[in-house]
Amino acid sequence: MPGLIGIYPFGLGRENWRLARFVYYGLLALQHRGQELASIITYDSGGFHESIEKGFVDEAYTEEKLNNLPGFIGLGYVAPSIDQKPIIIDHPIGLILVGDGKPNLESRVQPSWKAFAEMLADEIHRTGDALESARKLIEEVGGGFSFIALTENQELIAGRDVHGVKPLEVGSLGFDLGAIVSESSALDVLGMEHITHVNPGEIVRFNPYSIEKARAKPKDKPNLSYCSFEYVYLARPDSTINGIGVYEVRERIGMLLAKERPVKADIVIGIPETAIPFALGYSKASKIPASLGFITTGRKVRTAIKPSLFERLMGVQLKLNPIKCVIDGRDVVLIDDSVVRGTTLRNTVWNMKRRGARRIHVRIGSPAITAPCPHGIEIPPPDELIARALDEKEIAEVVGADSFSFLSIKGLCKAIGLKENQLCLACWGCGKK
Amino acid sequence: MLGVWEEVKILGVGGGSREHALAEAIARSSHQPKIYWVSEHRNPGIYRIVKQSGGEYALARTTDPQKVASLAEEWSIDIVVIGPEEPNFHGVVDEVERRGIPCIGARRRLSILEMSKAEMRRLQWKYNISGKLLFKTYRSYEEAVKDLEKHSELLSWLQNVALKPARQAGGKGVKVVEDAQIYLHNEKSQFKQRHIRWLEDYMSGYTDIEDKILVEEKVWGPEYTLQCFVDGRTVVGMPLVQDNKHAHEYDIGPETGGMGSYTGRGFLLPFMTREEYDRSLKIVKSMVEAIQKETGERYHGFIAGQMMLTEIEGPTLIEMYSRLGDPEGVNVLAMLETDIVDIFEAIIGERLSKIKIRFREVATVVKAVAPEGYPDFRELAKNHPIAVDEGLIGESGCKLYWGSAHLDESSGKITTGGSRLLEILAFGETPQEASQKIEECLAKGVVKLLDGWRIFHRSDIGSEEMIRKRTEIAERVRRLYKYREQRRILGKRIDWIPKLGKLDPVKELLNELSYGGS
Repeated sequence: MPGLIGIYPFGLGRENWRLARFVYYGLLALQHRGQELASIITYDSGGFHESIEKGFVDEAYTEEKLNNLPGFIGLGYVAPSIDQKPIIIDHPIGLILVGDGKPNLESRVQPSWKAFAEMLADEIHRTGDALESARKLIEEVGGGFSFIALTENQELIAGRDVHGVKPLEVGSLGFDLGAIVSESSALDVLGMEHITHVNPGEIVRFNPYSIEKARAKPKDKPNLSYCSFEYVYLARPDSTINGIGVYEVRERIGMLLAKERPVKADIVIGIPETAIPFALGYSKASKIPASLGFITTGRKVRTAIKPSLFERLMGVQLKLNPIKCVIDGRDVVLIDDSVVRGTTLRNTVWNMKRRGARRIHVRIGSPAITAPCPHGIEIPPPDELIARALDEKEIAEVVGADSFSFLSIKGLCKAIGLKENQLCLACWGCGKK
Repeated sequence: MLGVWEEVKILGVGGGSREHALAEAIARSSHQPKIYWVSEHRNPGIYRIVKQSGGEYALARTTDPQKVASLAEEWSIDIVVIGPEEPNFHGVVDEVERRGIPCIGARRRLSILEMSKAEMRRLQWKYNISGKLLFKTYRSYEEAVKDLEKHSELLSWLQNVALKPARQAGGKGVKVVEDAQIYLHNEKSQFKQRHIRWLEDYMSGYTDIEDKILVEEKVWGPEYTLQCFVDGRTVVGMPLVQDNKHAHEYDIGPETGGMGSYTGRGFLLPFMTREEYDRSLKIVKSMVEAIQKETGERYHGFIAGQMMLTEIEGPTLIEMYSRLGDPEGVNVLAMLETDIVDIFEAIIGERLSKIKIRFREVATVVKAVAPEGYPDFRELAKNHPIAVDEGLIGESGCKLYWGSAHLDESSGKITTGGSRLLEILAFGETPQEASQKIEECLAKGVVKLLDGWRIFHRSDIGSEEMIRKRTEIAERVRRLYKYREQRRILGKRIDWIPKLGKLDPVKELLNELSYGGS
């Protein structure tokens, strides 16, 4: 789930741009895709300038650091693990690659991307044709991924796997800049125009003089397989991915939840921040008023992607201070985006009851997570997944809720507006390769 | 005037794809004119048409009025037709007419509408013609940068601007920089300053104009071109065309002369209304009236408004052409059903209102093919040998218009000139269908550079996705300008700046203009 960004100047005066700060603000907008590692890579006549830092983008990069980063081509990357670094190849050609998802080359994410980048560099060196090299590689390598690579010859190559699992969007600024990013919200933050998405199996190549596209054509016609978890949780709600507005999907999810699992209550509350659009949708369809239920202490942290239980719990406890006067004496529909282990939810329900909530009906804006992600999203091992071990009734008992239910898989597809065979639903236990 | 039995001799000026399309339209005429041509390089397509008609082709500087007029006299030409803008700016029309030869083209003082983007805008404000933009002109880098920096602190309209050379300069040097994010202001401001420096240097090569740098408010919306015939009394509009200025796919990259264009079936584009067409035509007509009034001269030839539907003004004039557009001219000339020589005669006799000008009810798409390096690094794009499979282009249902390519008469070899090499046109029921035809044609490798240098074109022009996108934007803009119209605030701009209070940039501009003009 890392966040990717590549910004590229065209035309007269292209070398006058300094793009480090553009990349920085783009990464801030993609911060939710990875909070453990941040990297800004720029290019100028002196070659690549790369820096890889730990932690949040705005902690890793100071004003001074940005001011000292020259370069008129920019590449940026945020990752949810310090083990997922940009891949830097020196030989046979210089190439830097940032990737989201996982090519099927090795069992683990990082070695797989390393192998991918090496093959790409070798092939470009051999043929001199970056577009064709990337096309061939995408045809041959399976998996669900998107990537942006920059070569020492100022060629920026971006592509998606043939099923389109991972997102990649295109934008521009005036007559000068082109950009490729994981999510359109990064373009908004940079004042750029969002143009369209890179199609599944498509490769885009920028060089100083042209933009060219190619489409991988594997023997078996691939079906679409957009990652459904993007729409439920990963992406920002102000992003448009594959032409579908994320907020719209989340609101529809809430509305469908209300239809699938109606319940009598006084108030609907969403767990910040991801579940708030679900709650608004639920409220709209059920006519039960929605309210803010929690106030956050400290900075925005995506608790679900924190590596340790201690960090996740700490995150939740700081993030979710229930507002007593909202819940005291009320029956609450509490909406969350997903449940992995159930530990943080249990903590939240207990906290709310202690502050006076009478009944708590938990509704989850996604189906039960029961299987690992084949495309590199870190999901805990099967024996840590609560929905594998317990049914909804049992989960309700464990977390201390009066009722508990997930969204159906059918409901999820309906909310996204695509058919089951057009989405990757692997983590919800819908096996499809 | 001329009967079919009389031989008509027509001399065309200019060597691009637009001129190739003009030559083709002239060759279609039932008058069977003898066609003569003059351009700076030998356009292979025009050359063939000229030879087939029994005329002659000369290589010469087309901006040299004496040279062009002398050729016209030497060949006893009946009508001279000017293709590009520079001959107009240099007074070629004036000299040809002075020698008693009728000419389809704008005289020097009339062509100021195109030559000076600043003069055009002043005239529009002076005559209060709708579709205006706020603007400022500067004579030097220092003047411009000082003013822009001052205004960036005030958050006025001068922060989000188009930077242009004040003179028409072959579509070169336009930058649009929206500087709306304070956190990226330094980067954008530095880039703007460097570009202004470049503009100053670039414009120092032109001595025919005092203003050097033009800054206009940035607007957004769908662009379109309205081309017209003018005879000094009547302005007759042609079908609307949408040109695409960005060099590359996705509307990314530097401004070019135009990488391709499309028309709908008939006069309207898929995203425009009849009312918007009429308003656009009224703007162009009013501009012609204004310039005729200013100069006391009569406009005979082509004129075009390069326009945009904007939130602030509705149909808005971005720039004007004293000629047909390129590639837009190729679209309309291919659609033209009426004999073009009859139209030329009507223009010369100032009786355009008496004839009916008809266009085919068909959609067209034109795509330009250029060597890599175009538009901003043209040296790289020059002097590559070309091979074109004209037979296969024809079989694919497409037409070829040669552009920036030079034919060596003795060897028969063709090389690139550095600009748009050629244009391919196709007809269709819809632009999508025509676009698809061209894509299939080009995918067959019908155009190649023999030394392996790469060429490019835009696959997206006329595509379904492009038209859907333009339509979406047009609808958004239309909602906004219609709302303004209802509220009677169309064209109004009001700033409120802390400590300074309420400001009316229009009033300020008008004050400055009358001060500067007196």
